[in-house]
Amino acid sequence: MGFLDAILGGKKKLKAPPAADRLFAMSTAYVTLSTGHGIETKGVAAIVFQPLATADFEAIVAEMEELLAGTGADTGTTITTSEDSHGYRWIILHDDDIEDLVVGINAVSDALMVGGYGDRVLAAVFAFKDNKSRRVYFIYNYKRGHWYPFVPASGTQSRDGERELQVKAMIGGELPIEPELERWFPLWGIPI
Amino acid sequence: MAATKTTFTRDAGLQTRMLITMFLLGALYVAFVGVLFAAGVQGFMILLIAGGFAALQFFASDKLALHAMGAREVTPQEAPELHAMIERLCIQADLPKPKIAVAYTEMPNAFAIGKSQKSATVCATTGIMKMLSPAELEGVMAHELAHVKNRDVMIMTISSFFASVAAMILQFGFLFGGGHGDDDEGPGFLVIILASVVVYVLSFLLMMALSRYREFSADRGAALTTGRPSALASALRKISSGMDRIPQQDLRVSNEMSAFFIASPKKFIGGLFSTHPPMEKRIEQLMRLEGELQGGTLTAA
Repeated sequence: MGFLDAILGGKKKLKAPPAADRLFAMSTAYVTLSTGHGIETKGVAAIVFQPLATADFEAIVAEMEELLAGTGADTGTTITTSEDSHGYRWIILHDDDIEDLVVGINAVSDALMVGGYGDRVLAAVFAFKDNKSRRVYFIYNYKRGHWYPFVPASGTQSRDGERELQVKAMIGGELPIEPELERWFPLWGIPI
Repeated sequence: MAATKTTFTRDAGLQTRMLITMFLLGALYVAFVGVLFAAGVQGFMILLIAGGFAALQFFASDKLALHAMGAREVTPQEAPELHAMIERLCIQADLPKPKIAVAYTEMPNAFAIGKSQKSATVCATTGIMKMLSPAELEGVMAHELAHVKNRDVMIMTISSFFASVAAMILQFGFLFGGGHGDDDEGPGFLVIILASVVVYVLSFLLMMALSRYREFSADRGAALTTGRPSALASALRKISSGMDRIPQQDLRVSNEMSAFFIASPKKFIGGLFSTHPPMEKRIEQLMRLEGELQGGTLTAA
């Protein structure tokens, strides 16, 4: 049993990730968010992962970026990447159509999983704003297959817990929401 | 339930050694309890009293340990970087977020305590935060989280229970047994004392071995969580060379808890008696993992 079987899941026997439809649930839930509650997409979503300093990993990422750029020509999705202060890499997709964003994000995570690097993915983040122009994020935790809202407040690492719970109540039935509140991990310095 | 489990792989060899050690320890303790019961009321009493102490220790240990280290829980506002780093590691390791504490000492070290995954506390010293780069610190914190994930505090507490019983008998045994002119109890009590000596020595050795295996296991877990075995290896190197330059003052306080530290603060006392494997061995293991990573030997062995 090699180390990489674990760290990377192994090329062939990677356990099925939480079904992709849990991620795709966002495209239908968004209808409720937007029409019912005035929470609109900012036209941007991102996936964040730990880049490995290996040739194999970089090759897979490069290949995937190329692929996205290719399909982006049809859908109008554009991509940018950035690294944050924690050493994580963000692949950021811009597209006003939320369905294209979900498909794009899924393509990135899929490429990483097929490459055996599914464990490196930290989360996917979708950016929204409400009718008072406040930021609302939805974070998808791949390891658990759950979504949760994240609303940063002003001040160092403070969040608006009340607003998060309100947002959860708006959408609860349509997204698989993380049931344990202590696993609603914030992500600070989200570049979108 | 559809979520995948984090793949903390097991090193089969390491697992086997760990199991054998735990089995031996268990067998030793069963025999010990047998002797205590055979010795009658006294043995039973001792067990009860020791059990009470152990329970007390177990439930108060978090606070005691933090207090002994001069550590204090910190809010996200006080230590935003540390909080953010650990939150991300928790997502990767699929753990609930532990409490986070900081100990104000120059000694570069870190430790995890807590009875369960939900009530765990991880602590870093200001010394280690100053000394290491963010990636190295991340490796160290991932190591501590692996201890939490593996429930090492619980395992070491339980496995040290009978060793403490034996130690207690050795320290206070003569108060119970001796000197009241009660000649009947003499031989029975001698047996208890002798058994205690044997149990104490053997269990001590076994526990040290177990602790070393669990260190290797936590190093491996950290590498899996971060994907950067070399960062942890580099951190270990810095810590071990830094430790030598630090005054010894704090170390007496730390001795009791050394099983939970990232690096043993004790001076080298010889392989059999240390809670931590030698740094070179740990770095060697991490370099092996990095080698597999770089080589892309996905299907190897």
